[in-house]
Amino acid sequence: MPEIIVKPATLKELWKTLPGLSRNRRYLAGGTDIVTADNAGVERSECWIDISDLPELGGIKETASSIFIGSCVKISAIEKSAAARRWCPALLAAIPHFASPSLRNMATLGGNAANGSPCADGVTALVAEGAFVHLALKGKRRRLPLKDLFLGPKRTALKKDEIIAAFEIPKRKHLGAYLKIGPRAYFGISKAAVAVSVELSGGAVKLACIALGSVAPVPLYAVKTSAWLAGKKLSPEVIRDAAALVKAEVSPITDARSAADYRREMCGVLLERALDSFQS
Amino acid sequence: MKKNDMIETVKGFFNIELRVNGEKKELAVKNGEFLLDALRRHGWKGTKKGCDTGDCGSCTVLLNGKPVLGCLVPAVTAHGGELTTIEGLGSVRDPHPLQEAFVEAGAVQCGFCIPGMILSSKHLLDSNKNPTEAEIRKALDGNLCRCTGYVKQVEAVKDAAKRLRTKGK
Repeated sequence: MPEIIVKPATLKELWKTLPGLSRNRRYLAGGTDIVTADNAGVERSECWIDISDLPELGGIKETASSIFIGSCVKISAIEKSAAARRWCPALLAAIPHFASPSLRNMATLGGNAANGSPCADGVTALVAEGAFVHLALKGKRRRLPLKDLFLGPKRTALKKDEIIAAFEIPKRKHLGAYLKIGPRAYFGISKAAVAVSVELSGGAVKLACIALGSVAPVPLYAVKTSAWLAGKKLSPEVIRDAAALVKAEVSPITDARSAADYRREMCGVLLERALDSFQS
Repeated sequence: MKKNDMIETVKGFFNIELRVNGEKKELAVKNGEFLLDALRRHGWKGTKKGCDTGDCGSCTVLLNGKPVLGCLVPAVTAHGGELTTIEGLGSVRDPHPLQEAFVEAGAVQCGFCIPGMILSSKHLLDSNKNPTEAEIRKALDGNLCRCTGYVKQVEAVKDAAKRLRTKGK
């Protein structure tokens, strides 16, 4: 753990504090990734900036067209939010698969995204929700589709000192699912995960968003399969074809957690199960 | 006191103010020290150090009413918080209904995971007076036991819920 941990009270104070700190600094939200990486000696910083209580990064707000989830809202608080339950079904389905109950009291979506891991359950689900991410750096603000935040394993489009302020999820009537294969039913890192959101109209898919975890260098938005599903009725044949298509879209690797072939196969299986669940 | 104006007292030590088991405390914590280690150093040894990587749940404490893992919380960030450790629940002479139920169900073998398990269970029972087996299992998801296999702990939580409901009447 670095010797210096600072805790600004507001965003304004944060920007004022930065010039006086070591260049080798990182933001600390829930700490569940950054602390374990530091303990393992994988990633060392000289200074942590505790942003977990910054009022500007908290709260879940609802406007006429979107839900805004503050980047430092705890995962367990999202589960309790009526707005999130109503408008983010894929994200809600992912929460039981997100670490353990105590870690969900600590972890945040902001940390989940900034960590840049391809196996992040929260952000994979958010990509399927068609979420945008709001970033802030001093006076400047920008908004990106969340899928564009990820550049590679542990690499994001965040600039030096840029902060994730919130996630914006457009309000739309849709169904969502999150299915994951890990070392056990719960509390494990995924071998493969599939998040799906689907808007149905008269039995046909109006819009589908498929995102996959742990099977590409980034939480992957499956562009081709998502587009291919639009306009189709969810028949057993269509579901089978979508599963075949998604298997060609992923690029898994073999590592300590699983084998590339198995992961690819499971992407098809999980997508089939997810789409099946929307039929009934 | 604002949360960010901690003062270095002795070189490398900071004083943090927090409530531990209902009592206001001022604790000297070391630079780079985790809440788990600070608590144990100050005598709250009911909080156990297991994996130290956020996996096993034996260092679970309630911070502002919610279970968190003491091994991943930098001690200084608990400044201003409200903390409950297993010592705050009950004693040998006056055990909490959860502690009674765990003992009577035979849910305790080596005992290392039990403080964390009981605190996770307390959090569940605070908001759910009559949890189902699935809800109990979900609440204990992050508390690993290498002795008993979980069945007796689930029974103990069910029994404790019953005791608390009867007591509440």
